[in-house]
Amino acid sequence: MINPIDKVQEETNHLYRSHYGKMVSWLLYFSSDIDLDTAEDIVQDSFANALLAWRNDGIPANPAGWIFTVCRNKALNKIKERKRTRGIGEEDFQSVDPEFSASVLDDQQLKLLFACAHPDLSPKTQVIITLKYVANLKVEAIASVFGMTIDGIDKVLVRARQKIRDEKILLAVPDLSTLKNRIPIVHKIIYLIYNEGYKSSWGKEILREELCEEALFMNKELLDSNIGNKETAALHALMLFNAARFKARFGPDGEMRDLEEQDRSLWNNDLIALGCEFLKQSRGETISTYHYEASIAYLHCREKHFQSTDWVSISNLYFRLLKINPNPFVELNYAIALYYAGEKQKAISILSELQQKPFLNQYYALNASLGKIYFLEGNYRVAKDFFLKTLKQTHFQAEKDFIQKMINKIDI
Amino acid sequence: MEKFLLIVREDVQKIARLTKEEWNANIREMSDWVEELAQSGNYVSGEPLLTIGRYVSRDHVLSDGPFIEAKEAVSGFIMIKAENLNQAAAIAQTCPRVIRNELILEVRPVLVMDESVKPIMYVDK
Repeated sequence: MINPIDKVQEETNHLYRSHYGKMVSWLLYFSSDIDLDTAEDIVQDSFANALLAWRNDGIPANPAGWIFTVCRNKALNKIKERKRTRGIGEEDFQSVDPEFSASVLDDQQLKLLFACAHPDLSPKTQVIITLKYVANLKVEAIASVFGMTIDGIDKVLVRARQKIRDEKILLAVPDLSTLKNRIPIVHKIIYLIYNEGYKSSWGKEILREELCEEALFMNKELLDSNIGNKETAALHALMLFNAARFKARFGPDGEMRDLEEQDRSLWNNDLIALGCEFLKQSRGETISTYHYEASIAYLHCREKHFQSTDWVSISNLYFRLLKINPNPFVELNYAIALYYAGEKQKAISILSELQQKPFLNQYYALNASLGKIYFLEGNYRVAKDFFLKTLKQTHFQAEKDFIQKMINKIDI
Repeated sequence: MEKFLLIVREDVQKIARLTKEEWNANIREMSDWVEELAQSGNYVSGEPLLTIGRYVSRDHVLSDGPFIEAKEAVSGFIMIKAENLNQAAAIAQTCPRVIRNELILEVRPVLVMDESVKPIMYVDK
């Protein structure tokens, strides 16, 4: 039997995850006299009250409504208190912006998502405030997502709050043209949240999977609204193809497995089929980076064996991706695809050139790839040098173990 | 998105005194940051600079210009893409070595010639 006290904790956690950002933004609409810090304090207090009250009296019939009422009463008290100390008139109660309901977006979650996609904020800050106000993660959870300290996240949030206050970011709902301009930023936020969840270096963690689900969920809402576009569909396909391989990326003991080592029977065919649907839907005039990445992911997903992978097509797609998004990290993937496509010399010369760039020289994935390629070429001495170099370049145990396994293969 | 040059300034005398391992650790930290920028589609290119150089004017070629004399000199550059100047500055603020107050990033928009608009030296409002 579930302990009733745990049940209360579970219910409040669940409510927090679904309602925190909504309640904060609702309080901001409720009165112009409530600022962001106050709103967040009120919501957090109300959740603490709920936990205590519900443990004594049981969970009410409408838990979210209960907390909303407590928030509202606390807000009213706060406003009255301020009125007493400042003696200010009725203008403090000018509440509820009517524009709010007239927005093209009627989903509160989506409104908040677009609000977080403010172009003046860095992508990292956009992601952090989206995790806080849209995905409703607590600061501790966000810190663990980024491998940062709680203090580090708090600093980012303090700066972001200043901006949120100055520009009324959670309050002002962007008009249609602003919304359209912000779609690429919203895509980027969703993509980055997904990638944070997908990064294999962290190993198996429940929170990671939740992040991927959250990103898929947000993107689906965007697709279902009238504002999503072809890129949204391409991004959706990309995330589904990657999600299909989620479970196969680790062995029974939690060890990392690369594409070649994965048990492809563990790939989720339903997700792959769904991804294909969205890839079809994404066809249109413009081809975005998501289109290329989704197509590459599809070419991997459709093969039953690593050996039959169509590396020629994959390397062509990377080549075109590089044209619209030139950066050394895409170049690395391009070179790997070239190698498997049989263009070994070209691949190695690109990798060697990348290696001469100081910012890439110390990069884990580049040295690991060079190690693997020299290993495949039978040049074990050079391969081992690269692997040894790589060991010092990552602090993730799963990656270290993976490299150690490669070194062990050479030493035998 | 528009292009911005981040000019890296720091105490170059201090860099010259770093051990190879310390220098590598600095670069590795910048690599992680650069990778983050690439993932969000903001990275274009960038290189650190050596702490030697020549300082050229009409009458002189000096082998130890202000980049050696001054406490603070240009030690590298990074080209990024950003939505606007505010975002470019916000991105610069996320650099781990800026956070630790080890270097300063000067953020400058790259001038793009647009036929429809006269090139102007605009002043930030």
